[in-house]
Amino acid sequence: MGRDVVLRVEDLHKSYGKLKVLKGVSFEVRRGETKVIAGPSGVGKSTLLRCINLLTKPDKGRIWLEDVEITRPGVNINKIRQRIGFVFQEFNLFHHLKVIDNVMIGLTKVKKLPKEEAFRRAKEALLAVHITEDLWYKYPAQLSGGQKQRVAIARALAMDPVIILYDEPTSALDPQLVGEVLQVMKELARKGVTSLVVTHEIGFALEVADELMFMYNGRIIERGPPKEVVFNPRHEVTKKFFEKVGRLYGERK
Amino acid sequence: MTFWEEFLPALFKGVLTTLEMLAIAAPSSVALGILLGTLRVYGGRIASLIATAVVVTFRGFPLLVTLLLLFFGLADLHIYLTPFWAAVLGFILCSGSYQSEYVRGAIRSIDIGQSLAAKAIGMTKFQEVMYIILPQAIRRALPGISNEIIYMIKYSSLAFVVGVQEMFAVGKHFNSIYFRPIEIFLTLAAIYLVMTTAATIFFKWLEYKLRIPGIEMGV
Repeated sequence: MGRDVVLRVEDLHKSYGKLKVLKGVSFEVRRGETKVIAGPSGVGKSTLLRCINLLTKPDKGRIWLEDVEITRPGVNINKIRQRIGFVFQEFNLFHHLKVIDNVMIGLTKVKKLPKEEAFRRAKEALLAVHITEDLWYKYPAQLSGGQKQRVAIARALAMDPVIILYDEPTSALDPQLVGEVLQVMKELARKGVTSLVVTHEIGFALEVADELMFMYNGRIIERGPPKEVVFNPRHEVTKKFFEKVGRLYGERK
Repeated sequence: MTFWEEFLPALFKGVLTTLEMLAIAAPSSVALGILLGTLRVYGGRIASLIATAVVVTFRGFPLLVTLLLLFFGLADLHIYLTPFWAAVLGFILCSGSYQSEYVRGAIRSIDIGQSLAAKAIGMTKFQEVMYIILPQAIRRALPGISNEIIYMIKYSSLAFVVGVQEMFAVGKHFNSIYFRPIEIFLTLAAIYLVMTTAATIFFKWLEYKLRIPGIEMGV
């Protein structure tokens, strides 16, 4: 595989009982790239992301992270996950830990870094998502949704992952909080943090994505430069989807 | 010597014995409860089966029967426990079994998202349980745990059946000699009430101490 490809997904299949959620998905992400996956609800986008960090076990197909095939039996799942950042729709911060500890816990307990080093990296990650020191010693329940999601991004970022997977990171947010999260994600993408983003935010895709993949019925039915896919789609479903989403989200930059 | 001159020093020794039993049994039963509750949720097939068996058994036996079995029953099998340790062990097993249910319920109430997030940063199951799930579950189980400890303070009086000279045994003994039930049992009751109230205050303080700002109501 090419030197710069950090994630390669090959012919991924996943069913839940009779329901075929993924029917052969393949793509690659190169170092520094940001790719966006869009598509209607229930077409397998979240399942795809969860397969990549092995929260869900695919039935068939292979996934490589850098030069390691992570779908190979016997692979150390925990080691792999340390190198894949994951940002959830519902933030999933650890409620009993202060902001700084939410970011540090992976570094101290999983990566076993010394406390000072962990603190330094946590600090850097928090500043990168514009969470300033006055918030570091607050608890998740004391933050706004946008702040929570930015802390969750910092938690992923601090682990120094090969790639960050975002699973509809702004879908649980109040409209006025979406902007601050997207802004952070854009900044990270421009800094070269490799990202794979499931989102309906077309503006984000148009601004920073290297490729937009449109998923429908368990397959990627269309992919290409975001502008092309959004404004010049080849499939009727793609066209309909972006017309609809465009009406909902179009006003937002 | 008057009745009180004789009764109070003996009672004092009995109270000390009661407190000694509780000082060992209460924290150990909490530990056992956490262990059993955790194993029942996370313990894989065999461990969770064993934990379930322990809970079903010692929650199902009347404590009185457990105590008699631990002291006389085991002695019959040539395993000799002192009355004190038979009682303490019985309390730990009984209370731990009950407490495990509070812990298990609390674990199940933690949203799955936090578990996924723990996995996503590469935590092993053990790390996830130790650093993410239990610290929150134990907080939620505290009111139930406190209930069980208060209950234990009171049923520690059952230790008399295996011959522990704790405060109730002392009172019972004195009553059989002097027959002054009102003075004797009201005194005992007052002391138990002081102990249970102290426990209540302690657990309230602990809940307050461990509260998570922004989430918990009414603490």
